[in-house]
Amino acid sequence: MTFRELSERPWREPAPATPIAWLPPENGGPARWLTVGEWHGRIGAWQQRLAGTPNPSGRWRLYEPDPVEFSAALVAIWERGDHVILPADNQPETLRNLSETGIALGQIVPASGSEKAAASGSEKAAASGSEEDAARPFASQPPQWSARPLPEIAVSLYTSGSSGEPQRLDKRFDQLDAELATQALLWPLKGNLVVSQVSHQHIYGLLFSILRPLCEGSPFSAQPCRYPETLRTWLQSCRDEELRMVLVSAPPALSRLPETPGWAPVSGALDTIYSSGAPLSRDASDQIEACLGTSVHEVYGSSETGGIGWRVQQRGSTWTPFPGVEVDQDADSRLWLRSRHLESPDRWQRQADLIVLTDDGFELLGRTDRIVKIGGKRISLTAMDRALAQLPGVERAQTLPLQRRDLRLAAIIQLAPEALPHDHAQHREMVKHLRRALAARFETPALPRYWRFVSHWPTNAQGKLSADIRQRLFQDLDDRRAPRWLGECALEDGWQITLEVPERCAYVDGHFDGHPVLPGMTLVHWAMQQARRLFALTADFAGLERLRFPQPLLPGDRFVLTLRLRQDASHQGDAGASLRLECDSHRGKHVTGRVSLVSRPTFDSKPSRDGAHAE
Amino acid sequence: MATTALEHELKEMIIETLELEDVTPDDIDPEEPLFVEGLGLDSIDALELGLALQKRYGITLESEAESSRQHFANLKSLASLVESRRQK
Repeated sequence: MTFRELSERPWREPAPATPIAWLPPENGGPARWLTVGEWHGRIGAWQQRLAGTPNPSGRWRLYEPDPVEFSAALVAIWERGDHVILPADNQPETLRNLSETGIALGQIVPASGSEKAAASGSEKAAASGSEEDAARPFASQPPQWSARPLPEIAVSLYTSGSSGEPQRLDKRFDQLDAELATQALLWPLKGNLVVSQVSHQHIYGLLFSILRPLCEGSPFSAQPCRYPETLRTWLQSCRDEELRMVLVSAPPALSRLPETPGWAPVSGALDTIYSSGAPLSRDASDQIEACLGTSVHEVYGSSETGGIGWRVQQRGSTWTPFPGVEVDQDADSRLWLRSRHLESPDRWQRQADLIVLTDDGFELLGRTDRIVKIGGKRISLTAMDRALAQLPGVERAQTLPLQRRDLRLAAIIQLAPEALPHDHAQHREMVKHLRRALAARFETPALPRYWRFVSHWPTNAQGKLSADIRQRLFQDLDDRRAPRWLGECALEDGWQITLEVPERCAYVDGHFDGHPVLPGMTLVHWAMQQARRLFALTADFAGLERLRFPQPLLPGDRFVLTLRLRQDASHQGDAGASLRLECDSHRGKHVTGRVSLVSRPTFDSKPSRDGAHAE
Repeated sequence: MATTALEHELKEMIIETLELEDVTPDDIDPEEPLFVEGLGLDSIDALELGLALQKRYGITLESEAESSRQHFANLKSLASLVESRRQK
């Protein structure tokens, strides 16, 4: 197959009988092919619809998950010489923000709709479940090819800018063609079947799963492949039909591939695997190679920059720049790029990525801005913090990525006193309320999963929410015996520490009789731990005095532990000390009493925050 | 309505696997959707759950139907999937 640039309109050429899209096997039936002739009919249908829709701006906003309909609509818009805008997702707020940018086309559904389809795996629903198009299916028509020139801008994409505002990126045909030509030269598709696990509303999916097949004359799957079991069935079908598959994927899918039943019987049908969106872990990369017998080609780039480089981790962790892409690094490790994929191909431009150059390429170190990738999608933490801080009751908010299996967000939220949750039910309500408020703007995987509600912004002595404070706020995730720490303040003669009983705390008893409680002695244990840290206490527990547990704490309860260290005159002999402890929640008192200590504690004049190891 | 032992086990599996730190088994209504409106799970969780079912119960989901994933609709449907298809 020869490569044809988009500017040569490769969609017009192939003979009508040529297969262009693969309709995967369904309900035990065999896979089928959609021909170029049938696809042209869809282009004609879209052309007619566009012609019948008044749109003086010539701008069309296209969100359409079905690859066949999407590609047909794209070509129909280009053939008119009009401008395509691709929203990154179909969240209501995204669409509202773009509502001035042209006429909406395709599947524009409420936020819950897309996830519902994804969750239930009903690919049919995702492909044709649009309620917006009452007229659908609109009838196929022969396409009209005119001499009208292609538009100057091929597509406009929207991506999270570092300022938190969505940033519009225009791609001309020559930029896309430069990139498509590079890919075709480096990794020719050779007529293999392209199957996608990513969205073509983003640059990577657009290039790899739609435009590359069109330009290289390779067929693509008429449906996205969301789940591993679907991939297995499709591979099986490819093997039976003697087809070879090119898989366009991303870390969320690739890092969750079940090892059993073995892939060996079907993996022979796999030709190439691409991954982009975020770096794939070395473990996942090795596991895929072991399971599928094919190594993963990772592509590094962004909506702004297009493709920058690639790697196969089994050959090394460094990235090789694509032909036509020059990479440099400045004194601050910032990436500088000169690339035919950029708007100004001759100019060196500084990027937000941090790199270090190596003999044979570069290593990625991270980014300078607050952009993270979750589920392969780019999220601006600045935008999320701002959205949270605008909500009633929220005084301050900071989201941060937690490296737990895959990336998930955590949020530290300072609430007005009256909004603070005091127990499990209130905490759940608050989390639901905040997630719901964010859901209009962010896709579900991006919503924070771990929430810490504080009454005062937790900082170190320098006034910073430092790494060790962040670590303390989320320590209970890794240590099932730790309380959830939410801040502390010094009293004249002691400390007040705000804590929560983690729902999954290892000490909680009675899960099975339906009345889980935190044993009183756990509170004493936690009090001792906090005292060791805060009072630089080296003394040991010697006994309990006048200890009362008026009522137990429940999982999810928020409480304040008040600790006062006293030299105890009533003690005989070598004067011991005691730790007075009180524990209060909005329901009342949970502990009062004293812990006596055996040896003299050492005091710092100021209580130390790292007292646990202080001398 | 009484929760079966299997349902309880699945609740704990969901909470552990997906690290839902502030969810207790009682919070999961067997009839309520697991995804989006109900428990708020997402597409990455769907992949994680598939993997967990495979590890814990030896269940291989079949694509013969999108219906495999329709078993993920709520806890009840998940429990009946495990009951009918478990290998261990």
